[in-house]
Amino acid sequence: MQDQLSATFSALADPTRRAILARLALGETSVTELAKPFEMSMPAVSKHLKVLERAGLISRGREAQWRPCRLDAGPLKDAAGWMEEYRRFWEQSLDRLDKYLREREAARTKSKTNGSGKKSSKTKSKE
Amino acid sequence: MAPSVSTANSATAFVFSRTFDASREDVWNAFTQPEHLKHWWGPPGSSIEIARHELKPGGMFHYRMNFPDGRAMWARFIFREIAAPERLVWLNGFSDEHGGLTRNPWVPTFPLETLNTVTLAEQDDKTLLTITSVPFNASDEEARVFSGGINGMKMGFGASFKVLADYLTLTKHKGENV
Repeated sequence: MQDQLSATFSALADPTRRAILARLALGETSVTELAKPFEMSMPAVSKHLKVLERAGLISRGREAQWRPCRLDAGPLKDAAGWMEEYRRFWEQSLDRLDKYLREREAARTKSKTNGSGKKSSKTKSKE
Repeated sequence: MAPSVSTANSATAFVFSRTFDASREDVWNAFTQPEHLKHWWGPPGSSIEIARHELKPGGMFHYRMNFPDGRAMWARFIFREIAAPERLVWLNGFSDEHGGLTRNPWVPTFPLETLNTVTLAEQDDKTLLTITSVPFNASDEEARVFSGGINGMKMGFGASFKVLADYLTLTKHKGENV
């Protein structure tokens, strides 16, 4: 049995399903409406919706004849959180690298201006 | 579950780049030398302890990440290509304390290892760093999970769906009465 995040990402791997989710982010709609932008048969669209439904990303309303599709918040929220973490890991690592490089450069410049910097041939002069 | 429409997983890569106001040598050294790595590498808020760092093809960089709440996790690089100062290629994965590969604790079906490539390009006085990450030796399911996570992120699902999900949670109860 798959864990929820794996199920969510697996469902997101397909471009049609991502497009369906992006459309549903604008609000609930019918299967017919969802199928319009895709050159795809209704059964093919229904198949994608089933995958999304099974992954817990969407639900189908029962209150109306046209059974509107809508996004489900829970699993999507966890997946979104994970994706944000992943991106942030790289972003913040490189932020720290940037800071570290600046500190080293500043320390080097300082030791140079304090004299005894004769051999710092690699230091770039900036100003 | 065998989705019939699984597309172009192999084409999915996570790519990230950043320009540093530093020489290429400095960026290269910061990325490849343990005395520098420990100052910046690792997840936000963590510090790292380096158990092993062998900068050679097949060599391992094995480190422990210590989190503020007391938790610790191990991870490793296996270096594949070292072309100073412009290209570093390694296999990236979580590990146990002995350096054995372990699964991603949050997403168990995430590829065990990703092949990461860092390239450094000189741009005047600055250095452009680009990281590319692709699944390595992944099963179909692992490649699909990677693809879903990365493509979802690329579409901005990460940031925008978080906002949306909060909103949906908030409005759920009202919505049911409509």
